Amino acid sequence: MTERIDLPQGTLDLLILRTLSLGPQHGWAISERVQQVSSDVLRIQQGSLYPALHRLERRGWIKAKWGTSENNRRAKYYELTRSGRKQLEAETESWRKLTAAVAQILESM
Amino acid sequence: MLNDLLFRLRALFRRNAVETELGEELIFHFENEVEKYKRAGMSEDEARRRARMVFGGQEQVKEDCREARGTSFIEATLQDIRYAARQLAGHPTFAVVIILTLALSIGANSAIFSVIDSVLLKSLPYPQPERLVRIFLTNATYPKFALNPFDFRDYRARGKSFDGLAAITRDDLQLSGGSGAPLMLNGFRITSGYFRVLGLRPELGREFDEKAELAGNQQQVILSDRLWRAQFGAAKDIVGRKITLNDQPFTVVGVMPRGTEHPGNEYHSLVYGNDVDVWWPFTFEGNPAQRGSHYIEGFGRLKDGVTAEQAQSEMNAIMAQLGREYPNDAHWHVMVNPLYREVVGSSQRMLWVLLGAVGMVLLIACANAANLLLARASARQRELAVRLALGAQRSRLVRQLLTESLLIALVGGTLGLAMAVGGVKALVSFLPSDFPRAHEIHVSAPVFAFTFLISAATGILFGLIPAIQASRTDPRQGLHEGGRTATGSGRSSRLRNALVVSEVSLACVLLIGAGLMLRSLLNLLHLDPGFKQEHVLTASLSLPEAQYKTSVMTSQFFDELTTKLSSLPGVESAGAGTDLPWTGYDENTSLNVEGKQPAPHEEFHARYHSATPDYFRALGVPLLSGRFFTKADNKDAPTVLIINRVMAEKYWPHENAVGKRVTFEDKPTEKDWNTVVGVVGDVKDKPNSASAEPAFWWASLQVPYRNMSLAVRTASDQQLLVDAVRDEVKGLDPALAVANVQLMDEIVQGSVATPRFAFVLVGMFAGLAILLAAIGTYGVIAYSISQRTAEFGLRMAMGAQRSDVLRLVLMQAAKLVLTGTVLGIGLGLLLARVLKNLIYEVSPADPLTFSAVALMVIAIAVLACYVPARKAMQADPMVALRAE
Repeated sequence: MTERIDLPQGTLDLLILRTLSLGPQHGWAISERVQQVSSDVLRIQQGSLYPALHRLERRGWIKAKWGTSENNRRAKYYELTRSGRKQLEAETESWRKLTAAVAQILESM
Repeated sequence: MLNDLLFRLRALFRRNAVETELGEELIFHFENEVEKYKRAGMSEDEARRRARMVFGGQEQVKEDCREARGTSFIEATLQDIRYAARQLAGHPTFAVVIILTLALSIGANSAIFSVIDSVLLKSLPYPQPERLVRIFLTNATYPKFALNPFDFRDYRARGKSFDGLAAITRDDLQLSGGSGAPLMLNGFRITSGYFRVLGLRPELGREFDEKAELAGNQQQVILSDRLWRAQFGAAKDIVGRKITLNDQPFTVVGVMPRGTEHPGNEYHSLVYGNDVDVWWPFTFEGNPAQRGSHYIEGFGRLKDGVTAEQAQSEMNAIMAQLGREYPNDAHWHVMVNPLYREVVGSSQRMLWVLLGAVGMVLLIACANAANLLLARASARQRELAVRLALGAQRSRLVRQLLTESLLIALVGGTLGLAMAVGGVKALVSFLPSDFPRAHEIHVSAPVFAFTFLISAATGILFGLIPAIQASRTDPRQGLHEGGRTATGSGRSSRLRNALVVSEVSLACVLLIGAGLMLRSLLNLLHLDPGFKQEHVLTASLSLPEAQYKTSVMTSQFFDELTTKLSSLPGVESAGAGTDLPWTGYDENTSLNVEGKQPAPHEEFHARYHSATPDYFRALGVPLLSGRFFTKADNKDAPTVLIINRVMAEKYWPHENAVGKRVTFEDKPTEKDWNTVVGVVGDVKDKPNSASAEPAFWWASLQVPYRNMSLAVRTASDQQLLVDAVRDEVKGLDPALAVANVQLMDEIVQGSVATPRFAFVLVGMFAGLAILLAAIGTYGVIAYSISQRTAEFGLRMAMGAQRSDVLRLVLMQAAKLVLTGTVLGIGLGLLLARVLKNLIYEVSPADPLTFSAVALMVIAIAVLACYVPARKAMQADPMVALRAE
């Protein structure tokens, strides 16, 4: 079994925005996608997923509408707004800087 | 930002829809999860079980989502309020006691604050009132003295610190030919520019110009709005019309708008804000080199940026110049005081003391409320334990309990505000008549804000500690012991005891304050005023100059009138004098005493009056030596004086003053000398003045005045004589108004109105305080007894007597009450010093007051413990033990 890592503070938002940048998704699909893409290392608890979605919606970075899922059920789909896209770029950029800086320190000492 | 707000609003107002959507969304997720496990080969049941495990607490997720939506705070608050209201409705006695005591204390605070706000905090109703000042002369003998008109004219010409200077002096006029009987009007003579200095403008017409200050130009008048409406039907064409004042034609030059406030004055005073009916020109007459008489009062508007101190030092430089030019002006200094301080100065300290006193009442009410909440929190321990066990956060519990106490405080505050509205009306009607700005007092917006603030602060103050205390409940213990507190009560009972101790000590402080004020009031009431106030009817008359041209006519009028009044049935004696005791009369002159020299840089001074022969008899002022005036002391006889004891002792110490002579001239001839024929007892300016001023009286047949006050001593009810006195005046001169008909008793009562007012209020607050403290003590003792029922039962089962139990309970109570009393006495000793200027002839550490208060507090507290203690004593051991 793969070892799982708890998500650091603030990265959840980034992962959700990145996942939604590929197209509208419902909550369950987002958590599945993150788990798959990270080869099961990252797993989003729904206890943190839904509050995060509501928070992002409040900030206007994503918007929600009801649609029909693959298995023909009513599901709430989230999609990236324009300001959400900008936010994603900004956060990606700062994430890269952060990880690069952390990596540099870890390697040089 | 906007998006955020819209989102929150939608979440708040479409709460049900949002909740349904959330539920649906979570179920969808759950079903997908189940599907996933089924696809992995699990059975339906197993898949659901697994999904549920992964899923975690649905409600928790929902709660977190609500939090994320940003509406949880408002929602939770609404929920808390609903819950709190239910809680209070469920315990009506608790709710009523706590809300009523808070309402009373908050209401009292709001009422006193209304007075403070209107009197002290609101600025005076003039433009830029901070630039307005009063100008006085001062020296060692007369700390606050009126100005000399010619001095004033020089200040005005030479002073550079002011935008304007003006002076006024009280000079009432008698209106005839208006609608109805002759009427005495409150009048002031004013210099030109008086209203401009105050920043006021006439509604109609204009104010007096400089020409009006010239002798002979005084027959012009500015009317008050009230007089204009009442007597002249608000005629628009009033300006330019002639009206009859003092039997002479006066031209109306203006009408002042409604609400033109009188800025207050000292000399023949009308208090601040009182009604002035007419203003007429002050004319500068007489010899400008003679500067010994002082009777006008100065007002000034400081130039922007100039302080009262700077103006004062400039004025003193001018006064020093004048002192070199005119001998009368030497040895005087000028005092420039901000008008605000002059208006409110005397009442300021009393008002802050009253606010302090009600503040203490509120603190006691807080302690009381906290105590009741603490007692109830123990009863609610089980409920709180259940909520904690179900996962409620402690902070959430604190918040909910705080909401409850805030709700209580705000309900109490609202009720209190309603009480304050009624209370302020009662308070104003009860204020001493000379209280500044009394007519401006009402409950205004700042009072609402103040009430809201103190209510909220009160709610937090009395709610926070019990809330924190309650949230510390250990869920296991709370549940386990079925709501009975055995161990958890140690800390909370210490807290409760501390609260009772502080209640008792604060109540002590208030009682001490009230006690000191009561003693001071009694001292004032029992003070020998120097005259006998019972059965004396007084009134004032002002003879118009036009009709009573000569001094003979004037003196004859008062001679005839007093003779006629004396012969009325039931009248013992009747006299007339320039003034009555305690009415603020203050006219002084310098004089020379035969064979004496004043100390260098000093002058002999005395207050002058004039009186008819029976004036002293009518007032009951005792003759100490010599004789009273007689009808023989007339124009043809040598001028005589009656002096008071202070004057006799000041100028002729260890000598008999009778037969000694004084003069008011610098180079007297033989006829300028006045001989002292009698010495009378002292009448102080105010009942609590340290001593009387040196004073003398001329015989009114020799030195008559047109403005005189009547004093009529009767054998029986003086009220019956009012009409008889009016009739006699009418018989002599039908055009004469009889003003200020008053009983001397009323004047005396009026003079102690302020100390009485302060005492009654502080007394009421102290009463409320001790009642609250008694309720607090009762509550704590009753609660502790209910907690110890089993213990008492056990003790009695083991053979303790009922009296032992009683002693046990009383000991516990006594410990609290004694600690509180000792602390209260100590605090009282510290705080009573602020009363120093408010109390008369009582030491702030008065042993009688302190010991009486200590005994009273202990007695009341013991009484408050007696009821629950008796209950404990009568406990049946078996019942008590079964209560386990």
